[in-house]
Amino acid sequence: MSAKSYLEETHTAFGHPKSKILQWLLTIDHKRIGIMYAVVMFFFFFVAVGIGMTMRAELWEPGKQLVDPHTFNQLFTLHGVIMIFIFIVPGIPAIFGNIIMPLMIGAKDVSFPRLNWANFWLYVIGCIVALFSLWGENGFADTGWTFYAPYSLTTSTNVIPVLVAAFLLGMSSILTGLNFLVTIHRLRAPGMDFFKMPLFVWGIYATGWIQLLATPVVGITLILAMLEKYFGIGIFDPAKGGDPVLFEHLFWIYSHPAVYLMILPAFGVMSEIIPTFSRKEIFGYRTVALSSAAIAGIGYLVWGHHLFTSGMSDLAKTIFSFLTFFVAVPTGIKFYDWVATMYKAKIVLRAPMVWALGTMITFVIGGLTGVTITMIGGDIHLQDTYYSVAHFHYAILGGVVFLMFAGMHYWFPIITGKMYNEKNAIRAFALIFVGFNLLWFPMFIAGYYGMPRRYFDYLPEFAIYHKIAFVGGVMLVIGLLWMFYNLIQGWRKGEPSGPNPWNATTLEWHLPMAPAPLDNHTKVPYVDFRPYEYKHGEPVVKFDYETMRRID
Amino acid sequence: MAHEYVPEVAIDREGNEHLVQGWQDDYFGGKMGFWLFMFTEVMMFSAMFLTLSYYYTLHPQDYTEASAHLNRLLGGFNTVILLISAWTMGLGLLKMRSGDVSGAKKFILATMFIAALFLVVKGFEWHEEYEHGIFLGHGHLIEEGYPLGKKLFYGMYFTMTGLHGFHVLIGIGLMIWLLKRINAGKVTPEHHILHFNIALYWDLVHLIWVFVFPYFYMIGAAHGH
Amino acid sequence: MATNEQTVDTALYEREKGTYHKILIGLLILTAITFVQPHLFLAHATFEAQLLIGFAKAWLIVAYYMHLKSEKPVIGIMVAFALMLVLFFFVTTIIDVHHFQFTDESYITNGTLK
Repeated sequence: MSAKSYLEETHTAFGHPKSKILQWLLTIDHKRIGIMYAVVMFFFFFVAVGIGMTMRAELWEPGKQLVDPHTFNQLFTLHGVIMIFIFIVPGIPAIFGNIIMPLMIGAKDVSFPRLNWANFWLYVIGCIVALFSLWGENGFADTGWTFYAPYSLTTSTNVIPVLVAAFLLGMSSILTGLNFLVTIHRLRAPGMDFFKMPLFVWGIYATGWIQLLATPVVGITLILAMLEKYFGIGIFDPAKGGDPVLFEHLFWIYSHPAVYLMILPAFGVMSEIIPTFSRKEIFGYRTVALSSAAIAGIGYLVWGHHLFTSGMSDLAKTIFSFLTFFVAVPTGIKFYDWVATMYKAKIVLRAPMVWALGTMITFVIGGLTGVTITMIGGDIHLQDTYYSVAHFHYAILGGVVFLMFAGMHYWFPIITGKMYNEKNAIRAFALIFVGFNLLWFPMFIAGYYGMPRRYFDYLPEFAIYHKIAFVGGVMLVIGLLWMFYNLIQGWRKGEPSGPNPWNATTLEWHLPMAPAPLDNHTKVPYVDFRPYEYKHGEPVVKFDYETMRRID
Repeated sequence: MAHEYVPEVAIDREGNEHLVQGWQDDYFGGKMGFWLFMFTEVMMFSAMFLTLSYYYTLHPQDYTEASAHLNRLLGGFNTVILLISAWTMGLGLLKMRSGDVSGAKKFILATMFIAALFLVVKGFEWHEEYEHGIFLGHGHLIEEGYPLGKKLFYGMYFTMTGLHGFHVLIGIGLMIWLLKRINAGKVTPEHHILHFNIALYWDLVHLIWVFVFPYFYMIGAAHGH
Repeated sequence: MATNEQTVDTALYEREKGTYHKILIGLLILTAITFVQPHLFLAHATFEAQLLIGFAKAWLIVAYYMHLKSEKPVIGIMVAFALMLVLFFFVTTIIDVHHFQFTDESYITNGTLK
């Protein structure tokens, strides 16, 4: 048995570099690629958090504080572009889909490791192109991350480089999804059928389909916008008969499924953590798995609810409003299943579980407020107000990013072989959770009373909400820094964790060592068991780690 | 640091052996991956057809008149030769699978020749449109008062035939690469997934044209010139 | 491994070659129909007729040239799923633009730039 971990040796795309740095840059090992994604993504995440806090500081009082209105427009565009295209769309799939998913199904790597490597660099190039426009002559785009035509085609700012960047990032996302789909179809351990896969893999599978089928639509939309700008093909130019509503249709055909692309793997993380820390088999495995597929399927059909105030026909509005309500059904099924899993369980309140429980609160708020703006009448009042800003951040930051943090704590031992400081992890969670709610809950109220989003200035009566939000924002940022400090310290100085510190059941916890060895499982087990089998709080399935045969 | 496939078995509780699928040399996985990739192409062109249909719904009359003006002779010629090129490409793949490598190479070359011919004809056709004052950012398309539906129709015509032509160009590039790989002995009758996938790609390029052609050239054919 | 077999089989070659020739002839006939249709039949519904011929041709290409018929069903299911999605995009968007209630009030939708 090899005693070297993936951090000590690696496979490369070509050549046999001696240099450690080149080994990282050329690696085709899915675990290392996942870590590199994490490094780039969190770098940009903190940049975008900084931009967000700059905007909050600007909004401390009515009138101008820090930046002028034009810069403010660029700031929220940059914040949106980074957070959406660079951070949260690659998000959990790029990090944990890469690192954990192959381990969960007993594969040695993803199906196309070199493509995976190329995708990472395509992603990096996309990031660079996006930033490149910051230093251009006319400054970063000021259109908002949605690039609505025709303004995006007439503004003098550098919209085109951002469109190119979004296209490259989209291509990277498509090919990553493709890679995962083939991996899940082809490389499952013998005996593991679809209903023996861990639920995180189901989440990644559903996400892969969204990446594959929805992203090309926005890709071509961005290309058409570029052609419009340089060749004047006319389809987005009202002077030539182009209809701006068409741009919004095409844009949201991707961008609405994209939020399910963000949340589905996060739900997968939740479905891993809840049974492990409840020490029980998950309630309704099949319903959780199939509801992922259902959310992905229905998610394609509802984009029009972004266009309720854009000049869509009343008939289409009714259809879309009707269909949108259905998304809440599979989501609700998942929540009931998780709660039922925890019912009468001996819950172990370690950091990943605390994050998961916190998310249950914030995501329910985010999800239910989403249902309120599904109603056409309600939406016309709340569209483009702070209400939708708060809804979106509750669902995505309070849902996806919180669960990403939960996953970071949960899978930390596999990736690093160490354990972080539990107390500090809980404290950082508490600070982030309180700060998060202070930051965004007031926005629901402000939005309900009519505070429009993306505004540089506001009426004096909204001052109180903005002040509370700023305080919450400061707490959130301190909490984030604390959490990352704690994790980094854990990696550097933490206690060795052993391969299965949580005594969990899924395959990624049955590796011979932690951190994971280069070629994953030394021997691939035959999977004739369900992923979460516990009896009296103990895993049912036990392996002889020499032969990977069951000995229970 | 080669990453060779080491055959491995998993053993179940009865002691039966089950072969573990590696990612290396996964023929079906390679096919599936390429089918999935083709979906992204289909979605891209679908979005363009959606744009085209969107404006067709608004301006049916303008569309028919604009379509009547296009050169059906050149377009039809291209349709037929592209159809034949799909056939030669398929026969090349059959040759490869039956072990006749040099025969396969001849068919690939024939396909490349037809693909290049397609682009040349396309060029003549665009040139002719240009002469009639129809081109992006030129003539009627920037003329005030020219019917909006026609502007949109021709805008999409140049976009879609252009992007389709771009795919033809990529196809030629892929076939050159394929020939190099065959000459280097990397694509063989026993290991022809690359050839298979490029043949699939070429069928997709043909497939797109099967819809581009009637939507642009034929919907106004009943109205004549 | 059964799924990774890429064997050389000449009998299969002759049979598949025959299929390729037949499909080529079928496609050429359909293309010929494409050309004569506007002058022969359904001239008032050229768009629909052309689309129908297009789908017939597409079916031949996908099923035989792209070997979907002899492929494992899983790929066929994937294709069907993707196509259903495309169909939904078309139907819904066209419903929207067709039923826009203020068509006459905007030059974009009524087509007369004044």
